[in-house]
This record gives sequence, C-alpha cells and structure tokens, in this order.
Amino acid sequence: MSESGQSPEAPAGKGVPTTGHTWDDNLRELDNPLPRWWLWGFYATVIFSLIYWLLYPAWPVADTFTKGLSTVTFEVDGEERTTHWNSRALLVRDMQTGDSALRQREFLQVIDDSTLDEVLGDTNKLAFVNSYGRGMFGDFCAACHQTGGAGLMGVYPNLADDNWHWGGDVETIAQTITHGRLGFMPDYREVLDEQQRDHVAAYVLSLAGYEGDAEKIARGGEIFQGREGGCHACHRHDGTGLRSQGAPDLTNDIWQNIDVAGAEDDAARRALISQLVHDGVRQEMPAFGDRLSDAEIKVLATYVHQFGGGQ
Amino acid sequence: MAQSSTADAARPSAPVAPSEQYNYAIVKKFAIMSLVWGVLGMGVGVYIAAQLAFPFLNFDIAQISFGRFRPVHTTLVIFGFGGNALFATSYYVVQRTCQTRLFGTRLAEFTFWGWNAAVFLGAITYMAGFTQGREYAEFTWQIDILITVVWVAYFLVYLMTLLRRTQPHIYVANWFFMAFILATAILHIFNNLAVPVSLFSLESYSLFSGVQDAMTQWWYGHNAVGFFLTAAFLGMMYYFVPKQAGRPIYSYRLSIVHFWALVFLYMWVGAHHLHWTALPDWVTTLSATFSILLLLPSWGGMINGVMTLSGAWDKLRTDPIMLFMITSLSFYGMATFEGPMMSLKSVNALSHYTDWTVGHVHSGALGWVAMITFGSLYHLIPRLWDTKLYSIRLVYVHFFLATIGIVLYIVAMWVAGIGQGLMLRAFDEFGNLSYTFIETVVFLHQPYVVRALGGGLFLAGMLLMAFNIYKTVMPVHRALKAAESRTAGGATATARA
Repeated sequence: MSESGQSPEAPAGKGVPTTGHTWDDNLRELDNPLPRWWLWGFYATVIFSLIYWLLYPAWPVADTFTKGLSTVTFEVDGEERTTHWNSRALLVRDMQTGDSALRQREFLQVIDDSTLDEVLGDTNKLAFVNSYGRGMFGDFCAACHQTGGAGLMGVYPNLADDNWHWGGDVETIAQTITHGRLGFMPDYREVLDEQQRDHVAAYVLSLAGYEGDAEKIARGGEIFQGREGGCHACHRHDGTGLRSQGAPDLTNDIWQNIDVAGAEDDAARRALISQLVHDGVRQEMPAFGDRLSDAEIKVLATYVHQFGGGQ
Repeated sequence: MAQSSTADAARPSAPVAPSEQYNYAIVKKFAIMSLVWGVLGMGVGVYIAAQLAFPFLNFDIAQISFGRFRPVHTTLVIFGFGGNALFATSYYVVQRTCQTRLFGTRLAEFTFWGWNAAVFLGAITYMAGFTQGREYAEFTWQIDILITVVWVAYFLVYLMTLLRRTQPHIYVANWFFMAFILATAILHIFNNLAVPVSLFSLESYSLFSGVQDAMTQWWYGHNAVGFFLTAAFLGMMYYFVPKQAGRPIYSYRLSIVHFWALVFLYMWVGAHHLHWTALPDWVTTLSATFSILLLLPSWGGMINGVMTLSGAWDKLRTDPIMLFMITSLSFYGMATFEGPMMSLKSVNALSHYTDWTVGHVHSGALGWVAMITFGSLYHLIPRLWDTKLYSIRLVYVHFFLATIGIVLYIVAMWVAGIGQGLMLRAFDEFGNLSYTFIETVVFLHQPYVVRALGGGLFLAGMLLMAFNIYKTVMPVHRALKAAESRTAGGATATARA
C-alpha cells in the first residue's frame, strides 16, 4: 500500500530519522544508535568471559581442552597433589579438609573407638549420635519405619515401643542393621482348615488375655502345642516367642502385623488371626553392612535404642 | 502459486478487504486453538501444582497423577497454547508485512490439523503412560515424525510467502520467526533421533547414550526456550508492540545486532543445565560464560520494545493491551537477567534441583510468553473478525489477575527453592547435615500452596480472556453464517478456495 520513504512526521520526537522503510501502513524503525550503556554492558560480559576462560577449563582443543590457570590442591595417600581446577578435585578437597567434613570425621572416629555401651553412657557422644543418627535415620530408615520409628501396622515394625521380635538391646539392634532380617512364618492354608484356624485363633487370643469359647480354646491349644500346628516351635509353649527366630511374643497384646487390639469384637479378632495363619508372614529388612561404616551403624543402633523401646 | 484467486489477492492495488486479500481463515483457527489449549494446559498446571501441595488430589489414578500430567501440562502450554499463538501471529505478520497472501492455503491448513493432532495425541499418550522421557520432547517417535512433516510444511509456507513479498525489505519480526522455524527444525530432529523397538511399538531407544544423551537433551531443552519461547515471541513483540503503540521501533541497528547475537549465543548454553554432573567441566564452564554473554543481547529486545513506547507512556493509563505488552517485556528482562545468574556454577549449586528453577521458567513462561501472547491476541482477534473487543474492562481484570498470579508464583518458588537449597547444604556444630531430605520437602508445603493459588489466579485470567474472546467473536461469526446462508453458498465457496 504505502511505498517506502521518509515518514512525513518525525516519530518519537527529537527528530531521530527512521530508516525509511515502512511496512503494513505504519511500521517503521528509528535510526537510533545502540544505547551506550547496552554496548558497554555487552563489552563487560565479554571481558568477564575472557577472564573466566583464562581461569577455568573452557575451550576444547583437538582431543583435550584448555585447563585454565586456577588450581585445586588436595591429598592422595598422604601425598599433596595439585591439578587444574575441576569439580572432582574440589569434591575430594572438600571431603578431606572442609570444615564440616573434618568435624564429622573427628566425631565418627571417637564413636569408632568406643564400644556401644560407652557411647550410650557418654552425653557428649550421645549428642553427636542424636545429630548424625537423626539424619541417617531420616534418610535410610524412616521411609519404612516412619519418622520417629513408629512403623506401619502390617508392614514395618514399630521401633519406638517395648516389643522386639529379634531383641532390643543395642548389640542386637546393631546386628539387625548390619545383616538385615528375614521375618518368616509359614502359611497354613494347606495344613489347617478354616475351622482349625479359627480354633488356633481363639487359643492365641486367650494367650493375650482375651476371653473366649473354652472349647475352641482347648482345641486350638492342642493344634498350637501339638504336631498338627507346631506353632510352639517358634512361639514357644508359653507363647512368648523365640527371639532367635524373630517370633513375636503372643502374650503381651502388642500386635505388629494385624490390628487385633483395634478390632471390633471377638469374631473380628479371630478372623484377623485366622487370615494371618492362612497367609503366613514374609518380611524382609535389607542389610546395611555394606552401605554404612561400622561407626555409622553404631550411631544408628544407639540412636534407635533411645527411641524408648531399648532394652 | 497455482491458484488464480490467490494471485489476484496478492496484488496490493486490488480493491479488496484485508480479510479477503490475506488468508485470515488460517490465522483465526490457530488463534482460537491457542486459547483452547491455553485453558486446558494452564488448568492441568494448576491441578498438578495443587497435587504437589496436597498429594491426595491424584486420587490414586495413574492417568492424572503428577508424573503423567506434568508433560501434558508443558506440552499443552508450550506447543498447544504457545505453538498455536506463534502459528497464528507468524502467519498474520508475514502476510501483513510482506503485503502478500499466505502461500499454500492447503499446506497451511495441513500445518493446523497436523500440529494440533500432534499436541492432542501427545497428551493422550502421556496419560496412557507412553513417553520418550526427554523433557519438552516427550512425544513418542510416530508423533515426532508427524511434527517433522508439519514443520517442513510450515517452513515452506513461511519461506514461500517471504519470497513472494511485495515489499523490498523483510521486516524484523520475520527474521525472528524464520530463525525460530529453522532452529526448531534442527533441534527437534537431532534431539529425537531414536531407534524404535518395532514398527508397531510406541517405544524407542535414543540414538545417544550417557553423557552425550544428557548433553543432547539439554542442548535441545534450552534452545527450545531460546528459539521457541524467546526468539519467536520476540518476532511477535516486534510486530504487535509498535502496532499497538502506534510508534516506530526504537532502533533498527539494535534489532540487527541483538538478533544475530541472540541466535548465535543461544546455541551454546544448554550445558548450564548440567552443572556439577558427569559432563566435563570445560563444557559447563563454556556454557556458563555464553549464558553471561547472552544477557545483553536478550535485553536488546526488551530495550527495543520498551523504548518504542517512549513518548507514548500515557497509553499505559488507557490501554490494557499495552499494559500486557510492557509488563511482558519487564518480565522478559527480569527472567533473562535471572537466567545468566543461575547459570553460574556457584549460584547453580544452590538453585539446581530446587523450585527456583521452576519459578525462573514460569517468570519467563507466564510473565513473558503468555503476557505478550495475551496482548498480541487481544490486538489481533478483533482485527481478524473486523470487530471490537467485547469488554475492555475484562482485559483490565485479566491483566491484574495475571500479574498478581505471576508475582505470587515467582515469590513462592523463590522461597521454596532458595529455602530448600539452603536447608540441603546446612551443617550443624558436629559437621552433620542439619536436615534430612524429607524435612526439606515438608518445608515446601506452604510455598506450594501459594504457588497453586498464584497459578489459579493466572488461570482465572485465562478463563476471562476465553470468555471475552467468545463474546467478541460469536456475534460476528453468527452474522457471517447468516449472510452465508442467504447467498446460498455459491460465492463464498470460491472465496474460500
């Protein structure tokens, strides 16, 4: 429509001319120079980059790269070594001589040199344990055992109560963390029929102090104590459980896998236990011995021991 | 070329209305789809923002969980909302500034259906659990091929229209659009090189592995930001800001210098997304310095846009569309300052893997990309339908909802990102980490609530805009339909061809 040419009016004031081009009726461009501050700003970033390239690894050259003047010094096997600036060397140096790394290593050494009981008996050492252990428990354990070690019914044991399947003294806890645990109870779906499982359930409830049908309890007791069920082999004749097998105490009314205490009535309680007998139990806690150092396991064991359930 | 009606219309002296001289039909389609995807994409964004604050909101339904909805959100807003807006404005701008009708009516039509089919199929496949696992390029390989074909068609339409221009010079907006089309083609093809598992499988293996794969992904990822979300929207800005302001562009020289600096420098900076990783140090250092070098060239566009208004600042009091444009340029300036800062290794050590990055992206995506798009569409749509906006007051309301929403969003993400970054590196007096990882996540809850609120306000603005445009367009649309049925078809059919 309109041909290119100087616009009659002087746009944007102060008489700056346009380039003479016009598009789409009224699109024009002023012929302003580059803003000085913009140009100098750009030069400044160029200078910044040049200095950066001079100091740090920057440009590829053939099959290598410019190393830069900046260096990092760190120790390898007691020998001081200096390389061009690089992030791996920075990490090594930070882990060797960084302020926090040094302090942490010093405390960990103290723990390493102490027995578990010495750690438990020393407030200074416990102060470190409560700081380091909190972080480790949060990052390694809390995903299953939950914050504070409360556990999850049916899946992850509660570490904060006074009920231990494998033992709650600090040595056993350390052993559990190091090697992991495999909790196993065989399923009885093909061994006991529904009625028999119901009788066993009634007997187990009686062990924990619940009242029930005397006849059922008597029959359940026969299965539990006899060869038919053989439950006593792990849970012992009195129902208190063998720790070497990780068999829970059935007499204390503390339930890990099924919420018996929270069930509505006797029928519901028996149904829960009967189902567990039918299904069996298979639970695994992974071993941390190959992931954590001895000192770290000591820290975790003493930390967990203090949850309130330690023995 | 072959169609005689097209050739006639291209003659500038022909006494025809712009809607007949130019191919407005295709521009209209893209403009409307931009709004449709905008509402959907931002809606999904607000929903997953709410999921992060209140995880139960995923209702244990895999298809709508964060992991699957996140690429749906990014695809719908970047390629659906942003992509359609770019097609619409670039087809409009190239016709208006070249004073010629768009080349290849059918080819342009194909780009519309092909592009939107790709966006739609993308969203469906992500929800079904199929993804290539490459950020902003999650499309499975069949969709990638469709996009490639569409993009080649787009390139042809655009280039041929440029070649048929009746103007001696190519307007600056077209440089940016052209750079965007070319660069996006290269980025899309190389990033998506993959070997399909089988002909009928949606799965594929990337051609690259290890460090090279990471490098390729972020070379693509950052240039998607650079060329798709920056250069192209600068093209939009270079047309609609001077048009709306009625002022000439501030400096032709600045536009040339910052254009070439921008397109040259952007290609180098992708590796700054991979600081402190297995990438060689020289690669990330180089990308960091190029990011610093990019600061002023980026600002060149902001200066040219903002200074175009100089002498017409009073328009800001009376024109909410201008408010959108100027605010978008301000956010553009802020985001392009923040970006180079975050690309420095020491800053990145704090900011990376935190929500600061998310906030930075959104100050660009909401502040710059969406705001300049809103401004441009409010300018464009009444002209396409030859009518007036239904309500200027609603544009004001939209502007304030959007601005407050962005500010809430960005501030919440600064708090979340910098806060978590500081918590992750905090040590106590024993030299132990002060916080467990989960504690740093728990800290995020409140900022996440504020972020969802900010996103909600932004979405509310978007809905208002959709309503406003609906009320603007529908009366004209109905009138046209009525006229069409009166003339009983014959004449209009040829006009469409």
